[in-house]
Amino acid sequence: MKFTRFTIVALLLVALVAVSVAPAFAQDTLPRNETLYFNGQQWGSVVGWNPYSSNNNNAMAISQGDNARVLMFETPYLYNMLDGQVYPLLADGPFAWNDERTELTFSIKPAAHWSDGTPVTAADVAYTWATHVKYSTPTGAGNVDYIDDIVALDDSTVVVKAKLNDDGTAVNPLIVQAYVSSNYVIQMAWTQALEERVAEDATAFLADTAEDVVFSGPYYKFFTDDSKVILVRDDNYWGQDASMWGSLPVPKYLAHTIFKDNAAGTTALQAGEVDVSQQFNSNVQDLWLVDGLPISTYLPEAPYGIGASLPTAFFNLTGSSFGLDNLAVRKAIAIAVDYPTIIANAMTNQSATFDQVPRSLMNPTPGEQALYDQAAVADLQWAGNDIEGAKAILDEAGIVDTDGDGWRELDGQKLSYIATCPNGWSDWQAAIEVVAAAGAEIGIDITTNFPEWSVYQTVVTKSDAPLPEGYDIFMMWSAGAGPTQPWGRIRNLLSSEWLGMASNWSGNWGGYSNSEVDALIQAIPSVTDEAELKDMYTQLVDMYLTDIPSFTLMYRPQSFHTVNESVWTNFPYDGDGTEPPVPPLDLMDGWSVAGLYNLELVNP
Amino acid sequence: MKLMLKQVFGSGKFVIGFVIFLAILLTVVIYPIFVPDAPLKIISRGTFLSPGIYVNLYDSIDSATRYTLITDDAEARRVAGRLSDEDRAKMREWLIGNGVDEAEIDGADTAQLLDLWELNFDPTVRLPGMTNADRNYYIRLTASLEGLLSTEGATIASTNPETGALEQSDIVNQTDYVHVNEVANSRLFILGTDNFGRDVLTELISATGVSLTIGFVAGIVATSIGLVLGLVSGYVGGMVDQVIVFIMNLFTVIPTFVLLILISFSIGQESRGAFTIAVVIGLTSWVWTSRAVRAQVISLRNRDHVNLSKLSGHSIAYILAMDILPYIASYVVMALILQISSGILAEAGLSILGLGPRTTEVPTLGLMLNWAMIYQAHILNKWWAYLPIILVIALISFSMNLMNTGLDQVFNPALRD
Repeated sequence: MKFTRFTIVALLLVALVAVSVAPAFAQDTLPRNETLYFNGQQWGSVVGWNPYSSNNNNAMAISQGDNARVLMFETPYLYNMLDGQVYPLLADGPFAWNDERTELTFSIKPAAHWSDGTPVTAADVAYTWATHVKYSTPTGAGNVDYIDDIVALDDSTVVVKAKLNDDGTAVNPLIVQAYVSSNYVIQMAWTQALEERVAEDATAFLADTAEDVVFSGPYYKFFTDDSKVILVRDDNYWGQDASMWGSLPVPKYLAHTIFKDNAAGTTALQAGEVDVSQQFNSNVQDLWLVDGLPISTYLPEAPYGIGASLPTAFFNLTGSSFGLDNLAVRKAIAIAVDYPTIIANAMTNQSATFDQVPRSLMNPTPGEQALYDQAAVADLQWAGNDIEGAKAILDEAGIVDTDGDGWRELDGQKLSYIATCPNGWSDWQAAIEVVAAAGAEIGIDITTNFPEWSVYQTVVTKSDAPLPEGYDIFMMWSAGAGPTQPWGRIRNLLSSEWLGMASNWSGNWGGYSNSEVDALIQAIPSVTDEAELKDMYTQLVDMYLTDIPSFTLMYRPQSFHTVNESVWTNFPYDGDGTEPPVPPLDLMDGWSVAGLYNLELVNP
Repeated sequence: MKLMLKQVFGSGKFVIGFVIFLAILLTVVIYPIFVPDAPLKIISRGTFLSPGIYVNLYDSIDSATRYTLITDDAEARRVAGRLSDEDRAKMREWLIGNGVDEAEIDGADTAQLLDLWELNFDPTVRLPGMTNADRNYYIRLTASLEGLLSTEGATIASTNPETGALEQSDIVNQTDYVHVNEVANSRLFILGTDNFGRDVLTELISATGVSLTIGFVAGIVATSIGLVLGLVSGYVGGMVDQVIVFIMNLFTVIPTFVLLILISFSIGQESRGAFTIAVVIGLTSWVWTSRAVRAQVISLRNRDHVNLSKLSGHSIAYILAMDILPYIASYVVMALILQISSGILAEAGLSILGLGPRTTEVPTLGLMLNWAMIYQAHILNKWWAYLPIILVIALISFSMNLMNTGLDQVFNPALRD
């Protein structure tokens, strides 16, 4: 027994080493040749796997919307932002409207089955909707004004019934149609099990972490902690059936390290520890031009990606910013801003310029650009940096510097504004700095201020009262690409239906109101005639560029998509020959998931 | 006084520190006289332009005089600039991979290589193991090889405003040179530009001035508070002393920087001007000065001349100012120098965390570092956007610490030679 103490210490040491090495061992055993690494999606640790909840913080598995993420849960259809079409996933063939456009019918693929082996049925689709309504989830609340009911005609046939106006037409067929590519189908049996577990308590229902959830997609939870999320392929995935993909997706594991910040993510991308990067890497071209790394983007040259959303600066029109109700002031500021510098410096050229894609309400995709008559509004589309033009507008409106202090006055009062955006949003901050610089050029005092996001969002989304001081010109986003676009984006930017809401996360935060615009926004969803649509969209662009309630500062991609081809290759790129084309959305959103089936190893 | 100055300037350390500090101060004062640009003016489209001279291409074509220089290696340099050895090897690799006989390729013969390339290269062909990044590289390379071996000059043409047709106006020969000084527009960026496209040198010098001011304000605030509290507490003693020591102890146990972060965060960015930040730094960093002053005062207060002054009926303020302060003045000056230095460091530390003065108004050293970090200058090897700033901060602290050590050697009896 002489060595007892020594033995105990030794055993303790061994135990300590084992404990500290075990997790490291678990993560290092992922075979590099079977794992696709991501960054820029997941920040902070995963909360849950409940597809009904919007508080999962589970970016890899759960993200419903215009380009729904379909790695674990699946939608009936997949939206493709490149051609604007939807392609069947769980659904079998295209959907069909009845003649009145009040009922949309589709069927479920016979091959589709859940991870527990039971078939996906029309009843699942119907029950998912009923549950969304019953527990008033965001999906339920967002669609209940437009969808009356979803019913299962038989095991495979689903009918989506639109809410009707008094005259018997659908309230909004566009939103009804978008539902089938934006929202997951969730298993009825699992949903009922969950309801039983929480005794149908709505709060508990949405708060459940759903570790036992049944899914239909090709990947599911393998491992998560506060440093990473790993999904593993379900080799029993129904989609390998010839009626869908015909094979399994190539990578066995999808892994996402949770990085501290963008800089850490970029370093990992440079080192080849990340294959697909969904984050803003400033001066991304340096990665291949200067560093010579095997890194590429969807387009080989600037803007490197497909612009989809329009980050926009709003004027405060709620009455609390002196002088901004004057069109001459708004127009002068908007045309004086140096947009080429915003795009070159704040976005490091990762946006199309306004010379390439003249400003309108449309994003730069060809589909949206074709929706309005560019020649008709060409006179209104300013390219920016027009200092002389801006000065002339102000002079003409009688807004001049009367007291010689270098700043212009309106009715004897100096024009002085604060331009703002959330602190830490670096590309937006840099853009707002350029907006402020334009003010000094034309004699309008604009200073910048960057409140914390927690404060900023509360102030900006409170649309039932005039905006407080400090929010004269402020930046917010607009919708990207999706099945309801560009209508949805225009509605968000311009519709007065959001005014008066205590919590407005939709848009028109500046408080613009124009009954003609409202009428057009109301009418468009029911219009199917293309010429008529084009005319209506052109009218909207015309009114937007005439009234200038807000002005777009740059184009931004739906997702940043930069790939490192050290291990994997054959990622989507412009002209890659895929048919239909695979969009650059990180191989997980909407039709871009098709890219997972095309991947190849560089060194097989 | 004269003797004291002589003693101080006799210290080598002090002199070196003083000279460095003076050089920085003079640069801050003199530079703006010669380069009057606003320090925050956005001058380049495109971020992080590397240091060097930028010559206006348009003006250089229009430059009055062209010189012809006959140099032997001009063509070789021109070719090498667009087609490196690495490029040649990659072209060779592609050609072989695509079935061209290896023996046929002479990597050194540029003309032959280009012919082979033009004959064979097809951007749509995908060789095994070839990535899209490789494909993009070959397409870029092919574009840059256009006209590589041409011996003709480049034609300059302009559009006729009436007919819209291109009309040749000039030919630039391969042997044409212009004198940099004769080009109407050229610009020297000694330290390149930053993420906003601002001239780093101009911004840096302005920022140094602002940071020094912040340091001075912070140092003076901190030293004044420390001095007053230390004098009163040490001399008066009793209950007053106990209360002040209690406050000092409170500030000693709370880490200064944490306190600084909390205060900066809570006053919000709207009111965080450079001056406010300086005052906040001053308000949180006086505690060590006051402790040291108090200790010294306690040892001084029972000296004979102080007692004499007391007996003469002088007020406390008079005694503190005339009989005690002169004995600790050298210490206070040294403390002030250190406070200034640490004030500058504190501002840099705060700004790096995004809690410094608000931007757009004035540049500070910390804000420059903050933006360089946000735009990943350190990852993208844009050294000019952060290294000079770090050097300036280091130089300022170094010079002040040197001065402090020099003074210490002169005034501290324990260290005196």
